[in-house]
Amino acid sequence: MIEITGLAKRFEVENPKKLSEQEKKDPRLKGRYFQSVRDVSFTCQSGEVLGLLGPNGAGKTTTLRMLSTALRPDSGSVTIDGQDVLANPNVARKKIGFLSSSTGLYGRLTGRENISYFGELYGLSKSTINARIEEMADLLDMQSFLERRAENFSSGMKQKVSIARAVIHEPSLVVLDEPTTGLDIMATSTVMEFIQRLKDKGTPVIFSTHHLDEVQALCDKVTVINQGETVFNDSLAAFSALSDGQMHKSFLKTLSTESQEKSNVVNL
Amino acid sequence: MWLIFKKEFKELLRDKKTIIFMILLPLLLFPAIFGVGIFFMSNAAEKAENEILKYAIVGEAYAPDIVESFAEASEKFELVSVDGAFENESDYATLIKNETLDFVLVIPDTFDADILASGQHKIGLYLNDAGLNKVYGRVAEIIDVYMDEFQLAAFTELGLNEAQQEALLKPISIEKQNVADDREVWGERIGGFLPYFIFILCLQGAMAPAADLGAGEKERGTLETLLISPMDRYKLVLGKFFTVSAAGIITALITVSSMAVWGIVLSQGMAIEFVVEVMSMIGIVDFVLIFLMLVPVVAVFAAILLSLSIYARSFKEAQSYMGSLIMVVIFPVLIAMMPGVELKGAWVWVPLTNVALAMKELFKGTMDYFALFGIFTSTAVIAIGLIMFCIHWFNKEKVLFR
Repeated sequence: MIEITGLAKRFEVENPKKLSEQEKKDPRLKGRYFQSVRDVSFTCQSGEVLGLLGPNGAGKTTTLRMLSTALRPDSGSVTIDGQDVLANPNVARKKIGFLSSSTGLYGRLTGRENISYFGELYGLSKSTINARIEEMADLLDMQSFLERRAENFSSGMKQKVSIARAVIHEPSLVVLDEPTTGLDIMATSTVMEFIQRLKDKGTPVIFSTHHLDEVQALCDKVTVINQGETVFNDSLAAFSALSDGQMHKSFLKTLSTESQEKSNVVNL
Repeated sequence: MWLIFKKEFKELLRDKKTIIFMILLPLLLFPAIFGVGIFFMSNAAEKAENEILKYAIVGEAYAPDIVESFAEASEKFELVSVDGAFENESDYATLIKNETLDFVLVIPDTFDADILASGQHKIGLYLNDAGLNKVYGRVAEIIDVYMDEFQLAAFTELGLNEAQQEALLKPISIEKQNVADDREVWGERIGGFLPYFIFILCLQGAMAPAADLGAGEKERGTLETLLISPMDRYKLVLGKFFTVSAAGIITALITVSSMAVWGIVLSQGMAIEFVVEVMSMIGIVDFVLIFLMLVPVVAVFAAILLSLSIYARSFKEAQSYMGSLIMVVIFPVLIAMMPGVELKGAWVWVPLTNVALAMKELFKGTMDYFALFGIFTSTAVIAIGLIMFCIHWFNKEKVLFR
């Protein structure tokens, strides 16, 4: 089980004069700091798939980066199976598999070398790595290109290898940051099947996306982030119930209730 | 850490760009440049030597013997008759410029074999001396015969013996006795520019991999995955650091040995003995010391390059940062090449300059080996400091996620 409470992260603004008009209007800008994430909380049980939604710049990527220990939050806590991630990042890292759409591969290494390099970084033995690669190569249909250099891969091949790389150490949590953005339909369905397989195995998955159909197909829980704060956090059923099963409207509703409250405050 | 080093190095060796810059370029380009240069030089020199020179003589009636000698050497000189268009100096210039003639010889009307009576003769030689030519030398070759003849005749007439003749020609001769041995002489010349060369090569060789390992990784999107792997940051940095350092040293070693090997091949014969002589004078210990001093220097370069690279947003940005670093490195080495700057006093403490100076001293064989210890330690301290900074830099979110 994964529990995230009161996560916050601010970044120093290098040159406040360079910000655009719209950026200056953002309520998260406070002096020399930009409060990218202000208060994000959600939980995810084992076997659940949690969809993280939110407009561009809402703080989704920052949240997931904190979850995957790439960034250190200013406040809040992250626990995986009761273990404090922030206190013990290197232990937590072994439990997390992370993948984003912008993740690259080492072009001059073959697919197999890419996967086994990360396997070795995670401290796995050579035989374990080879066995798991064989297993995943069959599963993801990678046998035909595993020995070729990654620089010539199509986006689908890359994504398959990236998936294998992300789960080579059999993580107890998989974090995906917009895993389908910029992929063609074939590659997208590979990712979707992969998430479904993890779900069947009981591995919790947290992924951010802009595609509501993916949420509908896979997720058990939905969390919506807007301007660095959690504005919705409940089951998929509760989410679609917001507007009679129309996902787009539900999403817009979660955002608008937020802004309505805000404007009320301003009016008062 | 070695895992990272192994992987980075494997990747490096598979990169065609790196292979070209690190190995092929120094291996083939330098000899190619030298070879082509030497080929054209020797070709041009040979041509100047063997070309038939077209000439005209003014006042030929005054020195028929000389005219005769030129005419006899017809395989080297060709008389061109330019009657009429031949009045004054500007005419000579015109004729030489439009390549009708290669040179004009003007013999004065006072020309006479009896120099005791006539005094010194001045023969005018008009030529275009701008480019490579051997006109003067080839003309002098013929005239010198008469010069010696006239000289001898005059001495005989004066009744001087050989010792007196010699004394008369050069009353006092200064004889130079160089107390510096060959090694010091050549060490000063070669040892001056060698560190300059090696430093730049180390930097150049380390540059491409450094850009790839930092900014390249950022650009490809592999950095984030690497950062969340359960590998300590300092191990990541050190793995990358050793890769960059190794690339720098390998490039320098390959280039220097390629220069040495091709130098021997190209300048066969006598030059081999010279090279062997110089090498044998320097000795293994000094070579090892030069190499050892290079290690902390390369470490300094690698740490700076890696820090710049990880700070840069993209490969391009990294390369432009590194380009300006070359200027920074050249400066302290240039100081070491300046006359008067020696491994003494404050210069012992100037980083890079002290290593460059020490390399020169080692080459010359005049090294104070105690100073070496200080230089090595101080450079190593700087290197370690920079590596620590690099590790610290790798832990900053502001740098990694720019």
